[in-house]
Amino acid sequence: MHDIDARLGRIRGDVPPQAHNARTIAALTSNPGCARRAIMDAAGIDKPRLASYIGFPAPFGQSQFAITRGNAFEAQVKANGCAELLRLLREQLGLPIPEVSYDDLEEVGGHRSQHLRHARTRSLLTRAAGAGGDAGTLFDHPLLRLDVGGRPVYLEPDLIAFRLGGRFHVVEIKSFAVIDGQADGDKVAAAAIQSAVYVLAMRQLLAELGTGPEAVAREVVLVCPENFSNRPVATLLDVRQQLTVLGRQLSRLDRIESLVGLQPPGLTFDLELDQAGVPHRPAAELADDVRTVPARYAPECLASCEMCFFCRDEARGQTAALGRAAADELGAVHSVQMALGLADGTLTPADDQAEAAALLREAARLRRECLGETA
Amino acid sequence: MESLERRLGMLRAEVRRAAASRDAARVRALRAELRNAERDWDDALARLEDKQPAAEDPAMSQAPLRTRPEGSGAAVVAAGAATIPAAGPLLPLREQVHQALTLLDVPAAPKLLSAVNEAFFAGLIPSARLTSLRRDEERSFRSAPFARPYYLCAALTAELLAPARGLLAVSTWPMDRRVIGPLSPRVNYLSAAIRVAESFLRIRSPGPAAQRLLWRFAANIPGAADGARNMDPATVARAAQAELQVHADDDRAARTAAAGRARRQLDDAGQLFGSRLRLTGQAGAGRA
Repeated sequence: MHDIDARLGRIRGDVPPQAHNARTIAALTSNPGCARRAIMDAAGIDKPRLASYIGFPAPFGQSQFAITRGNAFEAQVKANGCAELLRLLREQLGLPIPEVSYDDLEEVGGHRSQHLRHARTRSLLTRAAGAGGDAGTLFDHPLLRLDVGGRPVYLEPDLIAFRLGGRFHVVEIKSFAVIDGQADGDKVAAAAIQSAVYVLAMRQLLAELGTGPEAVAREVVLVCPENFSNRPVATLLDVRQQLTVLGRQLSRLDRIESLVGLQPPGLTFDLELDQAGVPHRPAAELADDVRTVPARYAPECLASCEMCFFCRDEARGQTAALGRAAADELGAVHSVQMALGLADGTLTPADDQAEAAALLREAARLRRECLGETA
Repeated sequence: MESLERRLGMLRAEVRRAAASRDAARVRALRAELRNAERDWDDALARLEDKQPAAEDPAMSQAPLRTRPEGSGAAVVAAGAATIPAAGPLLPLREQVHQALTLLDVPAAPKLLSAVNEAFFAGLIPSARLTSLRRDEERSFRSAPFARPYYLCAALTAELLAPARGLLAVSTWPMDRRVIGPLSPRVNYLSAAIRVAESFLRIRSPGPAAQRLLWRFAANIPGAADGARNMDPATVARAAQAELQVHADDDRAARTAAAGRARRQLDDAGQLFGSRLRLTGQAGAGRA
């Protein structure tokens, strides 16, 4: 383990590793086959900085308006001792009337230090898990800890509700609207995987205390505005699948050793910062080093990875850049050039390309028929 | 005339105090009020010289102040209608807050106070100005303890007796009303609902702001109302009372215990504004 730490440290260079959060952990699962991303995440590389240094800055980060809107909605739902949330939990999930206890964990005695908040979260949740009686129902902004690649990461779910059917439920408050019972699929998927990160962290905490994973429900409560109003509505979301994916992905981060072993020994993504924090490494040299680690670019990367523009540029002319559906159809045909050659018959397909080549020729024939001989 | 002169003196002193505490907004408002008072005094003097019996009634000259929405005062003065004593602040901010807190009778967040003030009193309290209020009150108390009849202070968390996040209370309340246990947010919410419903019954024609406020409570209390259009304040109060019965005993026990602890352990300033946890040895602990 020390070897691998030292190796990852060399790849990162002389800077402290970047901390993960629920968003970045969730993003880990979006492209599990990408070695470049896996190594960078395991080493804790500052990806936005690296990407902009080699000339492909990603226009990333959440919009300030979205953040403000999200915070305002969360404050509304939680106002007056979670009055609106209690109504939702009572109406839709049958929370008993006496269960209204509320503990604010965003501050401990006027302090916001992570260590202090985590300690208090731990003690309160321990008490709740152990005792039956008056041990609390709603825990506002608890601070959980999850080990990612051997390093602890602090995570902050919006709220944890307890004793809804005898179990802990993670409550995630999001400001995208549920219109006529339907919400944007991508956003729900993102919320589900983020909540799964919290469920995992919560289970880890309880496991340390000797409580089984079934104490944390795999259904999370998603609270969103309803239709075009500000009125919140709660939905139960099953995150079983996301939990499996996350578990696999996190254990893969732990087994990063084999992946790093495949890379050339001198590999480093060090920016060679001087005392003032100014990078000195030639950008072209760094870009070459980045290219030695294979990436698996797909258009979905644009939504979740800071290196996306670099990889897209690199993947130009390859069928993978056309999206997963096209790449699957084309099978062993890796470049667009080759696909065109197979389609017009100037190239002869190898055995494993025969099926794709037949499809391509058929598509080319249809295209000619549709457009006439001019095309 | 005498009362006007007294008022002038008081206002000047207020301006000086506000300037010393660098509260620019208040200085501006007070100076506008001062100018108006001076103009009134000039008018009164003119009337005196004309041998007209001047009817100076400070209560009269203040009464319209309260009902006027903020901002319109300046326009009236500019139009030259000097006979109407024009606005400036309606009441000082802390008195508006005190008024709203007294109505609710439980510790409350600035947003709720603002809504209550809009519903039953003069208008919205700009919540941005409330953020520094508690700190100002604390500073004032520490420099001259118990110099004011009341202070706007913090509610204390039951476990650590630290100031509860974002809640205001009044220093004259008994300690157990200012302590926030785990059940207290809900209990306070229900008590506030009852108080709001009672106030709603008292006023003759409740405006839309009051309707909205009552609905905000009614919507989240089981059995309080079917919809925003057909709610009955008495039913809201009954429903709130019914749920309150469920939590009241446990909450009272927790609060009384914490209040006793606060009275024993904290000094005067601590009892009003809470004690903050002092951290020791954080450098080592942070890495663990």
